[in-house]
Amino acid sequence: MARLIRTEKEVEGRYEEVWIVVDEDALDRWPAGPLTTVGQRVPRVDGLARARGQALFTADLQLPGMLHTAVLRSPYARARVISIDLEPARSAFGVRAVIGPADLDQLTDEPGYVGHAVAAVAADTFGQAQAAAERIVVEWDVLEPLLDADEAVRQESFVSDVANYERGDFERGLGGADVVVEAEYRTQVVVHNSLETHQAVCHWEDDGITIYISTQYIWGIRASMADHLGLPPDKVRVICHAMGGGFGAKNSPGDYTPIAAELAKRTARPVRCALTRREENVAAGNRNATIQRLTAAATTDGTLVALGGDFVNAVGYSGWSATTEGPMKMLYACDNVRTTQYPAKLNLPPMAAFRAPGFVEGTFGLECLLDELAVKLGIDPLELRRMNYADSDRTDDRPFSSKNLAECYRRAEPHWAKRDEVRARSRGPWKHGIGLASQIWYGGGGPPSYAWIRVGSDGRAQVVTAMQDIGTGTRTAMAQIAAEELGIPLDHVQVSLGDSARGPFASISAGSSTVPSMGPAVRSAAADAKRQIIEIAAQRFHLEERVLDLRDGQIVSTDGGSWPLTEVTGLLESGQILGQGARGPNPAGMQVLTFGVQVAEVAVDVETGEVRVDKIVAIHDVGRVINALGAESQVEGGIIQGIGHTLSEERIDDPATGSILSRTLDAYRMPTIADVPEIVSELVDIPDEHLTNLGSKGLGEPPIIPVAAAIANAIRDATGAEIRSLPITREEMLRALREAEAREKERRGAAAAV
Amino acid sequence: MDVLTPRSLEQALRLKAERPDAVPIQGGTDVMVELNFDRARPAALLNLNEVAELRGWSRQNGRVWLGSGLTYAEAMERPLAEALPALAEAARTVGGPQIRNRGTIGGNLGTASPAGDALPPLLVCGAEVKIASVRGERIVPLPDFVVGPKRNVLAEDELILGVSVGGTESRQTFMKVGPRNAMVIAVVSLAVRVDGDLRAAFGSAGPVPTLVRAGLGDVDSFPQRVAEAASPIDDVRGTASYRRHALRILTRRALDRCLV
Repeated sequence: MARLIRTEKEVEGRYEEVWIVVDEDALDRWPAGPLTTVGQRVPRVDGLARARGQALFTADLQLPGMLHTAVLRSPYARARVISIDLEPARSAFGVRAVIGPADLDQLTDEPGYVGHAVAAVAADTFGQAQAAAERIVVEWDVLEPLLDADEAVRQESFVSDVANYERGDFERGLGGADVVVEAEYRTQVVVHNSLETHQAVCHWEDDGITIYISTQYIWGIRASMADHLGLPPDKVRVICHAMGGGFGAKNSPGDYTPIAAELAKRTARPVRCALTRREENVAAGNRNATIQRLTAAATTDGTLVALGGDFVNAVGYSGWSATTEGPMKMLYACDNVRTTQYPAKLNLPPMAAFRAPGFVEGTFGLECLLDELAVKLGIDPLELRRMNYADSDRTDDRPFSSKNLAECYRRAEPHWAKRDEVRARSRGPWKHGIGLASQIWYGGGGPPSYAWIRVGSDGRAQVVTAMQDIGTGTRTAMAQIAAEELGIPLDHVQVSLGDSARGPFASISAGSSTVPSMGPAVRSAAADAKRQIIEIAAQRFHLEERVLDLRDGQIVSTDGGSWPLTEVTGLLESGQILGQGARGPNPAGMQVLTFGVQVAEVAVDVETGEVRVDKIVAIHDVGRVINALGAESQVEGGIIQGIGHTLSEERIDDPATGSILSRTLDAYRMPTIADVPEIVSELVDIPDEHLTNLGSKGLGEPPIIPVAAAIANAIRDATGAEIRSLPITREEMLRALREAEAREKERRGAAAAV
Repeated sequence: MDVLTPRSLEQALRLKAERPDAVPIQGGTDVMVELNFDRARPAALLNLNEVAELRGWSRQNGRVWLGSGLTYAEAMERPLAEALPALAEAARTVGGPQIRNRGTIGGNLGTASPAGDALPPLLVCGAEVKIASVRGERIVPLPDFVVGPKRNVLAEDELILGVSVGGTESRQTFMKVGPRNAMVIAVVSLAVRVDGDLRAAFGSAGPVPTLVRAGLGDVDSFPQRVAEAASPIDDVRGTASYRRHALRILTRRALDRCLV
């Protein structure tokens, strides 16, 4: 029965209260561990198509008569357009339409950051559009930009309210402490740099618009573009068959989709608006910089008695302020916690969600500080974490639906126990060390989400749902779930997704929610189809339904009878069995979270400051694993992206003008295969017994979260140097080494004086 | 834009004399970047890929002749890699395999970038650049060939035939610091050769790749001298002070390697 509930919906750590109609989820739970198809190592069902270049990405799309767009973006961080002359562009060769600030809300005459869209040109070729855009004449009044996050806090320039939190009494906790550590941590701006740049192709046809777009949320694009265009939502069809990465930056239409829609309307042609790689490094969103001033205090027995922090999020010109303080509030059982988060509004490009926004940054600060505390206490860092283990969500005392972090710690022991062996590898200037960091994050998904399934007379099934596969292997996971429930081979299941006109509503692919939101809906649809097949089989074979089941492509009965599935479905000829399913509610009154720990082995050249990551062991608890191979590739991807964040990636801004200096993949340095260490991935494959008919949580984000802290802690273990700032460039490494040396000298001096 | 494709050196020199505005292109790893980023719009390209005389390498009177069309991939192969080990090591650090298959020594000389990876190894091996035009040939020592960042002494009708290098089979090595482990433009690069005297040449630490020489007795002070000879800048890849520091460390390590 459909049930109307008022519930909290969480995406990327942001909550909102919503009404949701949910269906009961009454299916029996599958047993834990690998099943016939679910839990196995399954290569991607679309792997060959991708390798052959047959998968259709938005970037591949060529519609007849399609025009291309170039966007004129502000070269100034803060300015006013005094006058703009679009005529020279309009008269340029190949140009079909030019729009400026007067024509569209997404084009501004008061840019607030370098890269803010001002005007756009549609032409027969991209080159013509670009050449024409250069001819637009703008007279600027250049204004003083606000670029420093601390200065923004002083001026109270914020994108939203300052967020204060306290539980217990921080000051009193601090007063009762034996050991206190304080440190300031800084994290840099990093850019998603998806392989497929942000882009959309808009095509007005019939009485509506079709939008082909590289997106993480087909239904979100449909809703916001319908709103923007003043159309009924079903007049907006959104299509995304294959996608070259999003990492959080492709949840909304951006400026490029409204620009393409407007130009398509004016020219009556399909229009592509695709960001170039340079625009991608400027105007496509980013993980914003943070400043974290943190305090941790403990008694000599290792009990955390106070945690506190001021967190400055350098959000940029707009966007939202991620919960950088989240790990400090949630990871440990500390009675006294006080945090303040300042969402600084600056004349810099706006942030966008980026793989566990806030928690990646906050975990770096917290988990580094905890190791500094462990050193002062003389307590083993792993032990210190165990001593302060949280058995419930301390922010509101809700129980966890499941938490197997203790099991992660147990499995980390053999790797952690290698510390002496790793340190003994040090030779000459190369110092070796080992470090660890914990991970906490969301990833429970939620309703609503729907799936349909149809089973034909040939006994094959097609899953139909208008979700998107953002490159994580969703098609494969959904096919596995349907195959498992229907008891048919994986290659008898096809998954049709990526089109809002062909399938029911599906959830966003963000916040590690695709599998936990969509998987249960697909299983429920398959179960509905299975119930119907068994009803028909019971009539066909004159048996009771309760003695029948589907297994290995057969209809089986408890007394040993067995018939090929097609013996029943074949009766249908062109008819089909249609199943439908919905995602049930999350467990009431419970906090659904993911957990993990990573152990990093590093080597540091103390003369040149070079840091080499030799190995990362990642142990995560995300409930039931659907595809063991796909999960491993998510872990590897997260760690590689985390290594970039930790060691080499940084958007470089001109501190005087706010101009972005790193606009190419030469200046903005993502890791190459030569930077990738040995990665050992272990998943605690225990289904969450309170969460849905699958017991699965998401894994997209967890693996990137502890990487930076684990590496920084390993560096401390190797050298004694305390890393306070990302990325750990050679300069930062040498600075930390010099500081450690000075500290050591001071300590010896003090000791000698006694 | 015209693309001129001569089939012989003689044709190439004649075309260059007729069209001095034609930009020579061999592997295209520099020229095509300039075109793609719209930093250059030459009236013509002089495609040298069909000029057989510019390819390959040979031994000549105790020296090695490297044609300007010699690719990095070829420089990494034995026996040339054994004759010029520092050049081979440098070639291995250039881009990815596709870039190394296309990029050439002649292109590196023509571009004359301060970060040109082939230039420090050539400098320590006493490279002499052979230049030709319809007017004749001339030989210019490499330190005199590169005259500024991305500037060389080529006249507008001249082409680079190749370089002659000595120091084969001597103790020599190459080191490069990059912000990551592959596919990087150097933060700083260094070639060192020990053969009767000490020679070091560095890249990315001054307007031009620079050669520093000292006697064998100056081993201890040599790293400092090399660092002092640099005039680096701060840029997106690294700071000037780090570059100087790294040069000192790398020179010492390179000497250790060569003096074993």
